[in-house]
Amino acid sequence: MPREMTYAHAIGEAMAEEIERDPRVYLWGEDVGVYRGAMGVTAGLLERFGPKYIIDTPLSETFIAGGAVGAAITGLRPIAEMMYSDFLMVAGDEIVNKAGKWRWMHGGLFKLPIVFRMPEGVAGGGGPEHGQSPEAFLWQAPGLKIVIPSTPADAKGLLKSAIRDDNPVCFFEHRGLYRTRGMIPDGEHLVPIGQADIKRTGSDVTVIAWSLMVHRALEAAEEVAQEGISVEVLDPRGLRPLDFDSIIKSLEKTGRLVFVHEAPKSGGPAAEIIARISEEALDLLAAPIKRVAAPDIPVPMSIRLEPLYVPQTSQIVAAIREVVGG
Amino acid sequence: MCHGGQAHVPRRPATEPSAQSDLKEEVLATGEQLKEFHETMVRIMVWENTLMRMVDEGKVSGFYHPGRGQEAVPVGAIAALGADDYLMYSHRGCGYQIARGLSMTKIFGDFFSTSVGTTRGLGAGIVHHAAPELGILGQSGTIGGCFPIAAGAAFSAKFRGTDQVCICFFGDATSNRGTFHESVNVSAAWKLPVIWLCENNRYGVSSKIDDMTGNPNIVDRAPAYGIPGATVDGFDPEAVYHVTLEAVERARRGEGPTLIEAHTYRFRGHGYGDAQPYRTKEEVQEWMKKDPIPRLAARLLAEGVATQAELDVAYQKAQKEVDDAVEEALNSPFPPDDRIFEDLYA
Repeated sequence: MPREMTYAHAIGEAMAEEIERDPRVYLWGEDVGVYRGAMGVTAGLLERFGPKYIIDTPLSETFIAGGAVGAAITGLRPIAEMMYSDFLMVAGDEIVNKAGKWRWMHGGLFKLPIVFRMPEGVAGGGGPEHGQSPEAFLWQAPGLKIVIPSTPADAKGLLKSAIRDDNPVCFFEHRGLYRTRGMIPDGEHLVPIGQADIKRTGSDVTVIAWSLMVHRALEAAEEVAQEGISVEVLDPRGLRPLDFDSIIKSLEKTGRLVFVHEAPKSGGPAAEIIARISEEALDLLAAPIKRVAAPDIPVPMSIRLEPLYVPQTSQIVAAIREVVGG
Repeated sequence: MCHGGQAHVPRRPATEPSAQSDLKEEVLATGEQLKEFHETMVRIMVWENTLMRMVDEGKVSGFYHPGRGQEAVPVGAIAALGADDYLMYSHRGCGYQIARGLSMTKIFGDFFSTSVGTTRGLGAGIVHHAAPELGILGQSGTIGGCFPIAAGAAFSAKFRGTDQVCICFFGDATSNRGTFHESVNVSAAWKLPVIWLCENNRYGVSSKIDDMTGNPNIVDRAPAYGIPGATVDGFDPEAVYHVTLEAVERARRGEGPTLIEAHTYRFRGHGYGDAQPYRTKEEVQEWMKKDPIPRLAARLLAEGVATQAELDVAYQKAQKEVDDAVEEALNSPFPPDDRIFEDLYA
């Protein structure tokens, strides 16, 4: 029977199932053991698997990431928790230059089955260095897969697929989603990497959103439905590999596009996808594209100021109306 | 598992941090092993001389950092490894790869970007040769990227319950990367089977190590991490062999890492065409008196271990091996253009 659980629990369950299934899989990171991870995601894992598999590291991000590379090229399958995705910049050389390129630059002689778990997003007071959504940085990092779940079911199914993948996967979890609940299918639940999901079907406009922004997009869709606007919400569930075919298919139907993401607008993740649409499918568009994104400033620390940074449902509604009415 | 079958030698206690090794008074290696050390150093030298000629002829793409003068370190240290141990080589010459048994044809193939190279035509310079079957794990292009990877490989050996060790070669300048601290620290905390082998050749590109850190004795960092440290004469392959063997055995016993500092010097510039404005010819000439190859040759002759004729044969054999490898590597085809799209993902 399908079970309801939180996004955080789904991630913990995915790790537990995969560590159970494959003795080469282990988890390391800062305070992932008795402390249960900074967000409580690893609750119960230490008790179940012991300190051999659930490993507290020193406060050493270059080791957490680069050590995972060394472990992976010698036969293990690490899950490396970065505590905050902002720390991608601390361990940038290890993640981008080592994990992403090691196989390619050494003639295909190694596999790097690593999952970098990277909690991201604005979730109450994290501020400029603990609240970013840095996935767009990785557009320029070939070799790294980019996976971003928006629901508990996707989180579980995508994380299990990521752990089984023979390539490095950057797995972005939104901190603001950890307590959200959803139904998890029974039994072995795997979601293939690189497959978009239509979270709401519609015919007038496509809203592309992922992570927490999927939920704002769904709220906006519900609101404008009362005005007779039919919104399709497309969640790519990750950026590399990108399910561009599903985006084209949706645009063939709607001809209109609103793009929502939590990262700043300039050079943000939408920019590349929109550029590709303009190169390959400009004739599908009946109206200009609108982006709803954070302004080009750092994330403010004050909870009072956060809503000025993070895209709000009302902004998505306004963008939809503009694109459809225009 | 196999520990490589090298001739083992009398054990001696771990050297104290900063203590100079006084290994010369002991008979540490067999005559055959010393002859092998000499032969391998000659092969490394002849290989490099030939590679630099190939650079002159425009056949090489990618960087090369000459290692002339430092041959004794990889030769002595790698002799102390077992067959399935791991190795992260340094950015200084290709002595590590040659001493570990990687074929010169493959190394030249990487420098010439022909298909016979370990990267199958993608190309490699001072970094990116790899040979998993020899435990050669590749190398980070960014200096100091080796440290976390070596610690991770050592962790992996321990996690899997093997008695493999990982040796990580690096230069004095590289020891100033933050990755050094993170990796040595965790290796000490977790007693990882890793040997941190610093080749202190006094310079990082143009910068003297004395100007770049408050205490240029890298080995003095060992007690700060709670691990054993040892210094060794980096021009003496036998001394390097012995001190590395101690560290390898300690790691296999589960007693954790060792930091070794080998004092050495590079006789050539940092990279090809380096005019070396940062040091005098007199300084270089003074250090060249310590050249490990003639020094070991003189000892072999003095102790009656080898004849001059035998030593001459080592040069002839090395030159033939190198010439054959060059020919084979140059005759290997360049890869097809779509090679660059292969191997990004498994």
